[in-house]
Amino acid sequence: MKVQFIALASLAVSGLQCIGAEINTFPAYIDSDICARLMLGQITDARIQCSQKTFKDGSSPVVVQLKDNIVLTPNKEKLLKEHVGKLAEVSGEAKFDRGTIKLESVKQIEPSSVPAGDPNRKLMDVRMSKVPASAPVMEKIRHELAMMPYISQFDFISFTMVGDQVILTGWTVRQTNRSEAYNRIKSIEGVGGITNNIEVLPLGSNDMQIRAGARAALQRHLSRYFWGSGSDIKIIVKNGNIILLGTVASKTDSDIATIQCNSVPFAFHVFNLLQVKKG
Amino acid sequence: MLNNLKTTYIAATVLLALSASCTKPQESSFKRISADQQFSGFLKEYSELKPNPKIDDNALTYVNRDAQKHLRAYLAIVVDPIEVYIATNADSAKISEASKTAVTNYFRHALTNAVGDAYPIVEAPGPLVLRLRTALVGVDVGGAVNAGDVPADSKPLAHAVNIGKVGVEMELVDSVTGERIAAMIDKAALGAGAEVGAEQFSKVNKFAAAREAFDEWAWRVRQFLDVSMQLNPEETAKALQSYRPYGADSDFNPQ
Repeated sequence: MKVQFIALASLAVSGLQCIGAEINTFPAYIDSDICARLMLGQITDARIQCSQKTFKDGSSPVVVQLKDNIVLTPNKEKLLKEHVGKLAEVSGEAKFDRGTIKLESVKQIEPSSVPAGDPNRKLMDVRMSKVPASAPVMEKIRHELAMMPYISQFDFISFTMVGDQVILTGWTVRQTNRSEAYNRIKSIEGVGGITNNIEVLPLGSNDMQIRAGARAALQRHLSRYFWGSGSDIKIIVKNGNIILLGTVASKTDSDIATIQCNSVPFAFHVFNLLQVKKG
Repeated sequence: MLNNLKTTYIAATVLLALSASCTKPQESSFKRISADQQFSGFLKEYSELKPNPKIDDNALTYVNRDAQKHLRAYLAIVVDPIEVYIATNADSAKISEASKTAVTNYFRHALTNAVGDAYPIVEAPGPLVLRLRTALVGVDVGGAVNAGDVPADSKPLAHAVNIGKVGVEMELVDSVTGERIAAMIDKAALGAGAEVGAEQFSKVNKFAAAREAFDEWAWRVRQFLDVSMQLNPEETAKALQSYRPYGADSDFNPQ
């Protein structure tokens, strides 16, 4: 009797799971996490190179839905490894609001398999990146994002505009930053729509040790980039990798940042994406 | 001979332990506010706390101004169990452990909800992690609980808990060094007329006022964090100057 009950209950649960799971199949670009969140917009040769290089260096592979540029973190990275820097037809249970996908299959496709005029071609059409965005709207968005109170030295939120569409992206350790960034810009006049690709990072103890170690090392050697409780250098730590973002005055300072972060215990790899001030 | 000695020693030890447990007075698990004290003594230091016009007259606050020890330098919070200080004249015999658990569990839950999306809650102390210490101060004995007031699925307390004169004292300390980063005393009389009469009072309509009071106190802690995180004019200028988004036109070259 007990066995029958357990069997029936298991069947009911698995049945419910089947009903709840919706499988999505869509064309996508397989990118590295770093390039998907920083080289926003069209898939250019430079982006493909970025995807392949950063993936090789340890950045996780992700799925970028061609239709709207939504970045999805997969449950199984193994299925994507062969396809980084390429287009693929992806099937799986996607949670677009959370930016995750439970992958079922990944099949490589050719660019020509997406017909002209198809909304999925939008990201492949490099002419779209030339669509001028309104400079005043861009500045309003930049101002709003710069003023967010809970942004720390360990968060970086970026954005770009393709026409009137805003792509929000980056990494944060706080859920509130993801929603606040969206809420702050949704009502700006001239913003037609928003894709929110800001990833909320887990706060594992290893990553926390690395954050504290990297900040201490950079503050010691590059103190002029740290002011009050903010900084010109942002330190993103994800799964043991350090991503350095922001702007420094010289290539030497950028190199010092790499050297210092490479000496942080437990850090696997340092991706130095610091921009050097021109002039 | 040796066995006899051993038996005598064990018997003596047991007797000693028994007599100690019988003669030792039963200590109350509650702390009490001293009659002549303005504050409970839960916080180690009170003189640094000042009125905060960005909240209201009921709040005294403190924020560490050292940039390295500012709230913004931390990312997550460990929430300690809530402590309870009973009112000076309260009859502690009428406030049971179950009463204490009922109010502290709910308030801890409310605090976690209020601050969790700004400072993610973690289980263990560590670098960049704050420890949130909180006390409910001035808990008193309430009226009798009628059996009819509490539905069958929620257990009534022997005596209701009166939160009419309760205030909140809290501080955020560095979870590794214990150094104080921020603190707040909230004297807002949000619990006026509210009582807790059941172990799971949050499910019982009659005690909705108590639930709302705890939620409001928790929200005021979040409000304190929010106003403390606001950028001052100098930080605003720096942040605006510093922030440059990356995008398709960024000329970065991953190294």
